[in-house]
Amino acid sequence: MAQAVPAEQKWWSGGKSPFNVEYGKLMMWYFLMSDAFTFGAFLISYGTIRFSSNSWPDPNEVFQSFPGLGSGLPLMFVSLMTFILIISSVTMVLAVQAGHAMDKKAVVRNLILTIIGGIAFLSCQAWEWTHMFHEGAWWGSNPFLNIDGTKASTNFTNFFFTITGFHGFHVFSGVIINIIMLIMTLNDVFERRGHYLMIEKAGLYWHFVDLVWVFVFTVFYLV
Amino acid sequence: MDNLHELQEVTHHHEFDREASRKEVMRVTVILSVITLIELALGFWLMYIDGEFFRLLIKGVICVLMLAKAFYIVAYFMHLKHELRNMIMTIVVPLLLFVWFLVAFLYDGNSYKNLKNTYDPYHYEQSKTKAEKPAHGAGETKDAKKEGSVE
Amino acid sequence: MSQEVNLHGQSEVITTHEVHHDEHHGHHHKETFITKYIFSQDHKMIAKQFLVTGIIWAIIGGLFSVLFRLQLGYPNESFPFLETILGKWAAGGKIQPEFYYALITMHGTVLVFFVLTAGLSGTFSNFLIPLQVGARDMASPFMNMLSYWFFFAASVLMVSSLFVQTGPASGGWTSYPPLSALGDASEGSKIGMDLWLISMALFVVNSLLGSLNYISTILNMRTKGMSMTRVPLTIWALFFTAVLGVLSFPVLLSGFILLLFDRHAGTSFYLSDIFLASTQKALPNEGGSAILYQHLFWFLGHPEVYIIILPTMGLVSDVMSANARKPIFGYMAMVASMFAICVLAFLVWAHHMFVTGLNPFLGSVFVLLTLLIAVPSAIKVFNWLTTLWRGNLRFTPGMLFAIGFVSMFISGGLTGIFLGNSTLDIHLHDTYFVIAHFHIVMGVSAFFGMFAGLYHWFPKMFGRYMNNTLAYIHFWITLVGAYLIFWPMHYQGFAGVPRRYLDFSGWASFNQFEGLNRFISIVTIVVFAIQLLFVFNFFYSMFKGRRVTTQNPWQATTLEWTTPINPGHGNWEGEIPEVHRWAYDYGKDGRDFIPQTEPVSKTESPEGAH
Repeated sequence: MAQAVPAEQKWWSGGKSPFNVEYGKLMMWYFLMSDAFTFGAFLISYGTIRFSSNSWPDPNEVFQSFPGLGSGLPLMFVSLMTFILIISSVTMVLAVQAGHAMDKKAVVRNLILTIIGGIAFLSCQAWEWTHMFHEGAWWGSNPFLNIDGTKASTNFTNFFFTITGFHGFHVFSGVIINIIMLIMTLNDVFERRGHYLMIEKAGLYWHFVDLVWVFVFTVFYLV
Repeated sequence: MDNLHELQEVTHHHEFDREASRKEVMRVTVILSVITLIELALGFWLMYIDGEFFRLLIKGVICVLMLAKAFYIVAYFMHLKHELRNMIMTIVVPLLLFVWFLVAFLYDGNSYKNLKNTYDPYHYEQSKTKAEKPAHGAGETKDAKKEGSVE
Repeated sequence: MSQEVNLHGQSEVITTHEVHHDEHHGHHHKETFITKYIFSQDHKMIAKQFLVTGIIWAIIGGLFSVLFRLQLGYPNESFPFLETILGKWAAGGKIQPEFYYALITMHGTVLVFFVLTAGLSGTFSNFLIPLQVGARDMASPFMNMLSYWFFFAASVLMVSSLFVQTGPASGGWTSYPPLSALGDASEGSKIGMDLWLISMALFVVNSLLGSLNYISTILNMRTKGMSMTRVPLTIWALFFTAVLGVLSFPVLLSGFILLLFDRHAGTSFYLSDIFLASTQKALPNEGGSAILYQHLFWFLGHPEVYIIILPTMGLVSDVMSANARKPIFGYMAMVASMFAICVLAFLVWAHHMFVTGLNPFLGSVFVLLTLLIAVPSAIKVFNWLTTLWRGNLRFTPGMLFAIGFVSMFISGGLTGIFLGNSTLDIHLHDTYFVIAHFHIVMGVSAFFGMFAGLYHWFPKMFGRYMNNTLAYIHFWITLVGAYLIFWPMHYQGFAGVPRRYLDFSGWASFNQFEGLNRFISIVTIVVFAIQLLFVFNFFYSMFKGRRVTTQNPWQATTLEWTTPINPGHGNWEGEIPEVHRWAYDYGKDGRDFIPQTEPVSKTESPEGAH
């Protein structure tokens, strides 16, 4: 049987993980795939409805306000939100890397930054939702006209609030997870365990939230 | 012990050069920011373009940039690029299902529009009529104060 | 690494089993009734919880079919006892239309999801995966427990929906809008529909937690030597089932969330141009598409039928090989065809929508993809037949049901080729032909596979045998009965008899089927009664059955038979055995069988040789 093939690592022969990862990380990846299909279904539904409509509102007319600066500034606010999320993703990577190096201080610092980023993003979203609500937009109510000046169905706002809401819910749970990770780190749970792999999984989730935003940002605000 | 060995086997893989990976993260951050800026520029530009084909082209470019961003996030931030090839495959290959998922749904959405325009002329006529004032949806009527958003 | 942490399923690094559950080697924690039977984290106990819940659901779901068959078989008679039990739903002893729709809806929902998904996959994935791959338990026993309790919560909600005043959901198990989206549209679209949707959402969570666990257990927790090409086909089947679940259920969840918004938030995702007769009002909803819901639903709905049938394909392969005393024919072909089925499952969903407004050109692409499924299915059927060919068959109850499965799968699969053609579908859609097709190919077949598995692994589950005489009666009456019920429905379908109709007496053209309908109803009642006999056998044997006295009663090769007769939490006392060969060394080198744990000797013929 296993006589003369020592050169190559036999990943699949049993007794070890074929991917060299612990089961928790594997589960997290596959959970994220599953979640990707949830978001995918939402976004594809959005696309389908948009393709079934004769016209659609123009994002540059809908999203053009900035707190404190008034309106007429298309894409500005969402750019801010996007960069907040990207930066919080970066700090999360740094937290994960610090975890690998068993550098507790750096883990704590970067986790706190990530949490702040997450909260900042949620606040931006809250402002944007409130602003749109005051303009008369909500589930089942759409004050915006189509790009060609015709009356729009309510589905633009329906999808907007549903999908950004679902994304916001993910950001929110990501923040909660990160706060739990922070508390565990401060209590030296990972130090005692001898590794910070849990942070890595939280990180995967957080990056996924960022990933989804890339798609949400594009389909709602850009195209 | 067997498991201790196992434990090292799983973790040793992560003993990497921290400085090098920090550089990698910074590089990816810059790339992501640049792509985002390009996307935003294109988004702005879209406001001033009228040609239908050209608009679609720009939108196509934005979608390609979106996929590029997704690639960088998954490959570097989520570290997938540094996993074993087989694991990458188990994640990337199922995502190919999205291709047919997307194509079939959008194609049928488009077909629904055409069928409706063909067989429901009233709907078509309505959808081509310019609206005077902001329309209200099905929900409760709100006194939408226009903040210059709908002009 | 503290053991407490491990026990609570939060251990981080350990990928194998030894440390994971090593409390079981030494001291045993004192187990209370609650930790042992209720909030158990032992995969075997969780499997039994799924099984018993599934059996209860099967009885409920089966009873629904008996009730509506009473109506279909005896449309002109009244049954006063029904009014006694059901009250206003059977006023005057006749099933009321609203209740009839509720019955068929719940029959479908319960059997498809609660019995043949959770009851089947939940039972056998939990029970067999750790035992057959050589693991002490699932990757995360805690999540496994949660998975069951989400299923339980879903069950409680679904049961409670049966008792609300306006009745349970009654828009069909597919719950198409606008009927399901508008509370005013029917009684069954009121609170019953909400409970249905929430229950199904919890069900999706159950499925997700379970499937993630199954996948990572199969990938990460195999014992030494158990390469993926050595695992029994059951494991492959359960693996693909879990993959299907992980990728398709979330799409259903999205569809349901949008539907909930349509119901309660005034959105129009699925709604457009509606005039509601019951309120005499035109609805303001504009711009939605009911076809979108159908796409989302069937993107799960089609993989769902493979989620139902794949596990039984695996179970049947193993039961058949062990009882034919022959290696399974074409192991790799079996794996490859299951993989092909798994991929195709995601590409063919719209063949359920050929006549609902789907673009006809797109429909023709779906026809092509659909017909491709015949290839892997046929490969599997031929492989089973070739496994039986010149085998030394032992007609145990498990084996009989396995053979019955193949018979059913062929009969039902062939009519699938008819229905896969969009042109034929213009005539056949929504008729009894469809009913006959999917009941045979996924309903009855899956039940046969499940029975095969239950009879075969019952000794491992409870350390006792089931009664054989009752089992043989169960098998023959179920087999003959199933054909008698569903075979005639094909002819009804050809004649154009539509499904989901309460009463056909208004159609002169369908009067000829009056006797046939009565006949089908009588057989249904008999077959249902025989299933109760099985339930009796099951519970009686659990406590009073003949005791298993040897570790390996079926002389099988796989790992689960190397555990003690009543394995504790942790499965093996001492080390987990190492595996040296594939799972199908039957009749090799003149030996009846060689267990997977036996090292390959120098003089032995090469692996797979027969």
